[in-house]
Amino acid sequence: MLISIDWIKDFAKLPVVDPQELAIKFTMGTAEVEDVILSDVYLENISVAEITKIDQHPDADKLNLVSFNTGTTEKQVVCGAGNVKVGMKVPYAPLGTEFPNGLVLEPKKIRGVLSEGMLCSEEELNLAKESSGLMELNDSATLGQNMLEYLKVKTDILLDIDNKSLTHRPDLWGHFGLAREFSAVFKSQFVNPYDGNWTKKLEKNFNKEASPICPKVEKDSCCKAYFGLSLKNIKVTDSPKWMTDRLTAVGLRPINNIVDISNYVMLELGIPLHIFDRSLIEGEKIVIGKVQDETIFVTLDEIERKLITGDTVISDSSKPLVLAGIMGGLNSGVSNNTSDIFIEVANWKAAEVRKTSTRLGLRTDSSQRYEKTLDSQLCYKTLLRTLELILELCPGAEVIGRPEYAGDDLSKIKSLEIQTTANSICKQLGKEIDQKEIVSIFESLDFLVETRADQLKITVPTYRATKDIDCEADLVEEIGRIIGYDNISPCSPLLEVSPVKLDPAQKLHREIKNFLVNNGGCFEVMTYPLVGEKLLKKADLLTGLEIKILNDLSKDNDRLRSSMIPGFLQAIALNSKHEDEVKIFELGRTYHPSKKGFSEDRNIVAAAFFSKEGNSFLELSNASERLLNNLNIPGTLEKKHPKFKNMAIDEEWSGLHPYEFFNIKVMGKPLGSVFSIHPLMLRNFKIKGHLSIMLLDLSSFEGRPLKEKTKYRPISKFPGSHFDYTVEVERELQVGNVLEVLQKIKLKEALKHSVLDIFQGSGDKRSVTIRTLFGDPEKTLSGDFLKEAEQTIINQLQKSGFPLK
Amino acid sequence: MLQKLDELFKEFQNTLNTINTQADVLNLKSEYLGKKGPISDILKGLKNATVEERKDLGPKANQIKNEIQELTVKKLAFIETEAINQKLASEKIDTSLLNSVMVHGQEHGGFHPITKIQQEIEDIFLSMGFGILDGPHIEDEFHNFEALNVPSDHPARDMQDTFWLQGSETPEGERHLLRTHTSCVQVHGMLANKPPFKFIAPGKVFRCERTDASHESVFHQLEGMLVGKDISVGNLIYFMKTLLSEIFKKEVEVRLRPGFFPFVEPGFELDIRCLICNGKGCSVCKQVGWVELLPCGMVHPNVLKAGNIDPNEWNGFAFGLGLDRLVMMRYGIDDIRHLQSGDVRFVSQFKSY
Repeated sequence: MLISIDWIKDFAKLPVVDPQELAIKFTMGTAEVEDVILSDVYLENISVAEITKIDQHPDADKLNLVSFNTGTTEKQVVCGAGNVKVGMKVPYAPLGTEFPNGLVLEPKKIRGVLSEGMLCSEEELNLAKESSGLMELNDSATLGQNMLEYLKVKTDILLDIDNKSLTHRPDLWGHFGLAREFSAVFKSQFVNPYDGNWTKKLEKNFNKEASPICPKVEKDSCCKAYFGLSLKNIKVTDSPKWMTDRLTAVGLRPINNIVDISNYVMLELGIPLHIFDRSLIEGEKIVIGKVQDETIFVTLDEIERKLITGDTVISDSSKPLVLAGIMGGLNSGVSNNTSDIFIEVANWKAAEVRKTSTRLGLRTDSSQRYEKTLDSQLCYKTLLRTLELILELCPGAEVIGRPEYAGDDLSKIKSLEIQTTANSICKQLGKEIDQKEIVSIFESLDFLVETRADQLKITVPTYRATKDIDCEADLVEEIGRIIGYDNISPCSPLLEVSPVKLDPAQKLHREIKNFLVNNGGCFEVMTYPLVGEKLLKKADLLTGLEIKILNDLSKDNDRLRSSMIPGFLQAIALNSKHEDEVKIFELGRTYHPSKKGFSEDRNIVAAAFFSKEGNSFLELSNASERLLNNLNIPGTLEKKHPKFKNMAIDEEWSGLHPYEFFNIKVMGKPLGSVFSIHPLMLRNFKIKGHLSIMLLDLSSFEGRPLKEKTKYRPISKFPGSHFDYTVEVERELQVGNVLEVLQKIKLKEALKHSVLDIFQGSGDKRSVTIRTLFGDPEKTLSGDFLKEAEQTIINQLQKSGFPLK
Repeated sequence: MLQKLDELFKEFQNTLNTINTQADVLNLKSEYLGKKGPISDILKGLKNATVEERKDLGPKANQIKNEIQELTVKKLAFIETEAINQKLASEKIDTSLLNSVMVHGQEHGGFHPITKIQQEIEDIFLSMGFGILDGPHIEDEFHNFEALNVPSDHPARDMQDTFWLQGSETPEGERHLLRTHTSCVQVHGMLANKPPFKFIAPGKVFRCERTDASHESVFHQLEGMLVGKDISVGNLIYFMKTLLSEIFKKEVEVRLRPGFFPFVEPGFELDIRCLICNGKGCSVCKQVGWVELLPCGMVHPNVLKAGNIDPNEWNGFAFGLGLDRLVMMRYGIDDIRHLQSGDVRFVSQFKSY
């Protein structure tokens, strides 16, 4: 929102300060100023000159060498304008002048002749949209006078204020309220011309005639207050320059005096109003009520709007005229022929205006203000100010009757009083401030203060109490921001000391990340938690049970992921284009509908190992096993179980590799899995290579601290002994089958069986060398015992189809 | 005789220089020092010598014996070292073939930059006695809005474009949504703890906002809350200054200016003196010398009430940090979308520590 400092000076005696300083102080005290614009300052450089001589340019037919007198010296420029003549007074821009379009005049030769600046047209001075030839100034113009003075233009400082930082301050949506704020920030005088005398003077225009139009408010409408006033003998013309200048400065297009007055008053007092052409209102009553049936209404901007039941409109006896608080209708607007008008100054319920304007996508200067919750008590003053300007701009205009009111009983609006003390305010700010200063700040902001010893009873102005101020903390802010938060020194509070630490889940998460990065050699990634049907279909993981977003921005991100896999397939597809091997992981959440509440977030570790040439299944499985061991998570890798299905991945999923699969069993439950992706699924994602994925659902055990179960055992004094032997295994079978047989042998002295070597012969058999470690913590095993034990093993293997080689 | 000894020793030295195997050296040694060797012979002949001769000859013979001994040991050690060095030379590997020069294989792993900065900030706050809390990403209106002093008709709901979830309306009409800020964890924290307490809550948040180089609909915040007795704006400034000086690893100048957030009163925007230009004005700070960094404020009494805390007895402050922004500022990242792209070319640039 643009505000004009010139306008503010109507009400505030601001000290002379640098415009940037002005912006910084307002930013620090009230609301963020995003930009400072100095309007029309370039006109100060440009001055009145008189043409004294015109010579043909030696090298160009269409150019002249124009000499002129600036009042102090003679100068010459190269000029191509057709209307030059000796004795003509024209605006002259010297070298260095910066024009509104950004052009800076620099010394330059035109066809060999140096031009000392420029004589300007109206277009170049931003005074007309287009012009031909130089601007002709009055013969009586004083030589050397600058164009600001000649045009009687005042330069202005415009501040662009961030609307969002005014969300809670409806009183700052007009220059009058802003001026009060500036006065408080700069500790300067605030002048309120709209006092009791002013009111009385304007009320003299009311008379005993019957008002031709009376408002009636229906109970269920969103109207809080409605003033209507009828006038006659209006003459619609252009507005005077002072008014159009101000409107233009803050970005509004002047239309005619009546429309401009309604905009001007809104920008001054912050309360929107609407002016009807009274001759277009049918009947003597206007009714403020809710739309009963869906209807089409054409707003002033000539767009058809569909109104629905519940929207509040102002209607005459036959049709809706205004969409309450948002925009008037095309059917009753002021035109050049209007002579009778009806002024509406009303207040509407914020939420309902907001609802209708949001639905229609129609945010207007008016609806933006009503959304902030306005004070009904300001309506009457707004009406009087409108009347004042109409009488000023159309001296022949006359009031018929008096303001007619409908709506809530305004006398029942009670002022808000808040009790506080200077001490309490100082304590909350952390700064000593004198009680007198506190009182004076409140008063500069129009709060009433009653002091009794150290007790302060603060009466909040009604326009601040609509939404913004309702408790002591709000008062603390008023003092803090005017004192300046910069003037508060940082200091540590006195706090109890108590131990803090990461909870078990946070600790586990950190350990997992540390392990996968430092030991697993993975990069941590973040894949997108929002997914869409297309991706899920591609991954054959569309269940229809995903939690969906009502107001999604795109069909590709219209639901929450219930599996990490699709995102990982996408990430690998991306990375496999650039890398031969990729190891990534994410500790992220999946989202699921829940029987208990609405939903459940689950923390999942997902890791993916991709290899263009090789097979990373074992590497990932090993890393997963090491992860469990290093972190002391009670878990193991196990084969698919016919009964207990994996809980992290659907074992029937078409993307699974038929053979490369492990359950990760944690505390007895298959909470995770290591698996490879089926080549057909890889093809869907255009991944060329081999991909294995590990998933582990942490949610069921992460919250419990792992118990320290380590029990120290003395290191055995008795050496163990190795027994190495080689058996033949069918190529079809896995070495694991041999180990399973060995594990079933009941021999407590056989501590461990592990694979020493595998020889891939040329036939259909492999030779597998196994090492069994024998040992006993109590004694050295005898040679006889060992012989017997070795025989037991060999026999058992032989029986199970693995003969010794 | 003495001369003979010197000659013998010279002879030994010459021979030793010509031989190169362990066996030859040992043979040579026993040849000279053995019982039947020339030195023994000379020593045996001592008994026939005069007392004068004996006086010189004895020590001389012993000295030469020792020297032969010593030279032999040295020569043997030399031969062994030579042999090992030769073996090493023959087993030489190509030490230039580090993983980093090979096509295959990641050179290292690494944390996501958000994790790095998050853990860094967590550690700063842990050291100042703050706990760390977590909360669900899917919330109800109470936790995301009502309890934070944002009633349903409040214009502040315009500022936060919310992703609403389908089929989430409870019988009481309460809807579910993706949390728009980590401030919801304030509510969980207040309801679960008795004051005084202080905690932070990092995590993902969601906004219904078009994505471009500087906007994401999924991003990361870190919330902080401290509730105690007689907490002041001065205390808030102290913690923010400490935090930011730790994060940026230098003294950071901060300023507070009024900002409107329904869940705090007074509410502030905290700016830091631009770190790029030290406040002189540059493109990063849009020529104003200050960069808007985080919203904060004193917890609104209504928020305390919603958390079952008596605002007449307790008060406190809260703040919210945008982690994505911090990461982008620290590393000069030009596009926020890289953060959740899963692209290794991006994440591999951030090594641990």
